[in-house]
Amino acid sequence: MRRIRSILTALAAGLCLLAPAASAQLGGPERYAQSELISERTSAAPGETVFLALKMVMQPGWHVYWRNAGDAGLPPQLILKDTSNVPAEALGEFLWPLAHVLPVVEGEIMDYGYDDEVVFALPLTVPSDAVGEVRIEATADYLICEAVCVPETQDVSLVLAVGEPAADVRSGDLISAWISKVPAPFPGEARIDDAAAPWTLSLAKAGGFPEGARLRFFPFEHEISHPAAQPQREGPEGASLSLTPDRAGKVGEVLAGVVRVDAPGAEPVGYEIRATRGGVLAGTADRAVADAVVPEAPAALGLQGLLALAGFALLGGLILNLMPCVLPVLSMKALGMVSAASSGHAGELKSHGLWYTGGVLVSFAALGGAILAVREATGFATLGFQLQHAPTVAVLALIMFAVGLWLMGFFELGTSIQNTGSGLASRGGALGAFFTGVLAAVVGAPCVGPFLGAALGAVMSQPAPGVIAVFLAMGFGMALPFLILSFVPGLHRLLPKPGKWMETLKQAFAFPMFLTAAWLLSVLAGLAGAGAVGWTLAGATTLAFAVWVARGGGMIRRGAALAALAIGFGLPAVQANVPAGPAPGDVAAEDYAEDAWSPEKVEALLAEGRPVFVDFTASWCASCQVNKLTTLNTKRVRDAFEDANVAFLAADFTRKDPVIAQELKRRGRAGVPMYLWYPAGESEPQILPELLSQELVIGLAVGG
Amino acid sequence: MKLTRRHLTLAAGMMTAVALTAGALIASTAQAAPAMGGAAPAFTGVTAAGGEISLADFAGKTVVLEWTNDGCPFVQKHYATPPANMQTLQKGAAADDVVWISVISSAPGKQGYSDAARAKELTASRGAAPAHVVLDESGAIGRLYGAKTTPHMFIITPGGELVYDGAIDSKASSKVDDIAGATNYVAAALADLEAGKPVATPVTKPYGCSVKY
Repeated sequence: MRRIRSILTALAAGLCLLAPAASAQLGGPERYAQSELISERTSAAPGETVFLALKMVMQPGWHVYWRNAGDAGLPPQLILKDTSNVPAEALGEFLWPLAHVLPVVEGEIMDYGYDDEVVFALPLTVPSDAVGEVRIEATADYLICEAVCVPETQDVSLVLAVGEPAADVRSGDLISAWISKVPAPFPGEARIDDAAAPWTLSLAKAGGFPEGARLRFFPFEHEISHPAAQPQREGPEGASLSLTPDRAGKVGEVLAGVVRVDAPGAEPVGYEIRATRGGVLAGTADRAVADAVVPEAPAALGLQGLLALAGFALLGGLILNLMPCVLPVLSMKALGMVSAASSGHAGELKSHGLWYTGGVLVSFAALGGAILAVREATGFATLGFQLQHAPTVAVLALIMFAVGLWLMGFFELGTSIQNTGSGLASRGGALGAFFTGVLAAVVGAPCVGPFLGAALGAVMSQPAPGVIAVFLAMGFGMALPFLILSFVPGLHRLLPKPGKWMETLKQAFAFPMFLTAAWLLSVLAGLAGAGAVGWTLAGATTLAFAVWVARGGGMIRRGAALAALAIGFGLPAVQANVPAGPAPGDVAAEDYAEDAWSPEKVEALLAEGRPVFVDFTASWCASCQVNKLTTLNTKRVRDAFEDANVAFLAADFTRKDPVIAQELKRRGRAGVPMYLWYPAGESEPQILPELLSQELVIGLAVGG
Repeated sequence: MKLTRRHLTLAAGMMTAVALTAGALIASTAQAAPAMGGAAPAFTGVTAAGGEISLADFAGKTVVLEWTNDGCPFVQKHYATPPANMQTLQKGAAADDVVWISVISSAPGKQGYSDAARAKELTASRGAAPAHVVLDESGAIGRLYGAKTTPHMFIITPGGELVYDGAIDSKASSKVDDIAGATNYVAAALADLEAGKPVATPVTKPYGCSVKY
């Protein structure tokens, strides 16, 4: 009996374990996002405005939309239910954190939204007659999409006690963090020139934008075509974007929206702009910024696409054999290898061909790996970055010039790596063939960029295996001619015999190299101006000097030559750098001093006759963050404070501080935020409302 | 050294190769949408019935183009019965001798893709009444018109002029309850044309799921 019971129990337990798994397979997740209502407070006083937030956590690959969904989609909303004990007017609008583009169909359909997790803060004004508790019951109503869209709703609720304000530090911290991602008002001037299509949106601010920053404009409405590229120009004062109007698009009084700034090595920053109509602002459109291949990480290419790219790479590899960098070296080395082996056994010829191919493949794989490592480290997703980064262009131009000098015969690379390679390559047998392959790849690498860069650019944003596959295809294409030569007997007899013509050909190839250097200089001029070109030409002269000095051998001469070499390459690289702007996120004027508060400091400042503004704040106080965003950190307010010589003191209540707590108690407030305004010379402060406005604060500064 | 033909051929080959690979590949898709008030782009499409139709076939009649995808919640909203919003519009159009063409631009494997059999079955099961259902699996017609969402509506006059491009109605949502209170732009535009007036609202922002090219 007991046995049967235990068997039945085991069966039942097994079934219980299986059931959820089965339903998960059959039904899928119940919804693609989980929503909840959180608050910076556990309790609030009647009449207070506190911040709640709708927190949404999405399944991987699924996204919800921004306030303007773009071409297709619907933004999420929170709808208050009748069962709440606050009126609908008590809840305000969402604060929309900076969104990112969602390219649905590249070039044709573009949306704006969020994935992974997003927190929308919104203000709740507690009714002044509230007693006991505030009960918010609402429905989160949103469209969530991956490849397809699903409209979902979820009931969410929150209860706040009415009484002495008490913070919910954890939620407050989260809400504050997301409020800091809400685009701040642009601290400069924005202008839209809609006289002709395409329109030009120009943005000027002190210090311009950081070096290498890419901008994109997200409109609040649909005046512009969302998927169209926005070619960027920049200058010392700022940047400008070329916007394609939508079919019936026209600008009203202002063009309002958000500008997203992605600078390498920094968090993306958003600015809210209201561009007035007028001409392009000076200093924002001096030079073009080369387009990155894609603005956001695109979907991985399908197998078809990857195969097509690999095919192109193979072709490119084949053609690489004819490149000025490679051909002279190859023709001498590889021909020598083939003719030497042809006098030996046919079997050895084949294996040499394979080892040569192996050498090339390994080198190209290493090159692919190195570029992947650079991509990981710097976040540059395109090979095109080679030709967008001024120092790289300068160095490439110098390399082309140096190779041209070598091809002309102005110097032999005596004990250099080149010869080490040749030395290794001249070793007999399989190892020699392998190193010939490596040599060919090494010599071919600098030519890959300028000549095959565009094709490679298409693959650079793909996941790592795809990138390596394409590089291997390129390597295989490069090795193919010699592989064929070594496998098809008798084919090598068709090759021209080595002779003096090889030397003449080698010299002739110097000229395409010089031309390439000239082209790179013109790219450099577009990127960094004439000054950088001047420095690079000086670098080239230094290189020629190094070559001349190295003649005749000897330690001193060699040392001098090496030094000149270093200067020749290093100086232009450094000088070609476009001057960097200030770090992003510096919405306020940096030099505006913000001192820590203490009662003594207030007394001292008042004695000096300066008006004083005290900001009692904390990192978990969402309302404080909103006030910073809309008022305290804005340029207008900071300028007004500076003009009125206002001293700004901050009392940070993030960690409990008895002195600050006492001051709060003294003023009759149980918590932050609290804003005190001491007009010049007044010892008793005005206590400002907890939600500030620019007009209020500027009025105080100007008046007092 | 004698310059033989082989040398020349080799040199010429090298030059060509260098020249070719020095070219850059820049793919740019300039998507120009048809201009309002201009000629509606001509197209030819395969129908679910198995024939071929062209826009030119309907010269002299008003034509309504409806981009559809039966898997999209916004399309489902307008086909839901009750109130059968889309079906009612289609039947009304047929009664007024307006040619209603439903276009399916979903690519094979994507949501809404239909072959002729499925399209016919869909029309029957939905109780829909379009004059024709065009199967645009390559997305060529969709791209020609700049169709971005499902539903996305276009209206063409008997003279071949494009006079409406946009949403089906004024309430962007997937809720059936919102149909009653919304202004139906298609019905309004057709009424304007019937009365011989210019279309009051020729362009609106279409809402729906993105077309699954």
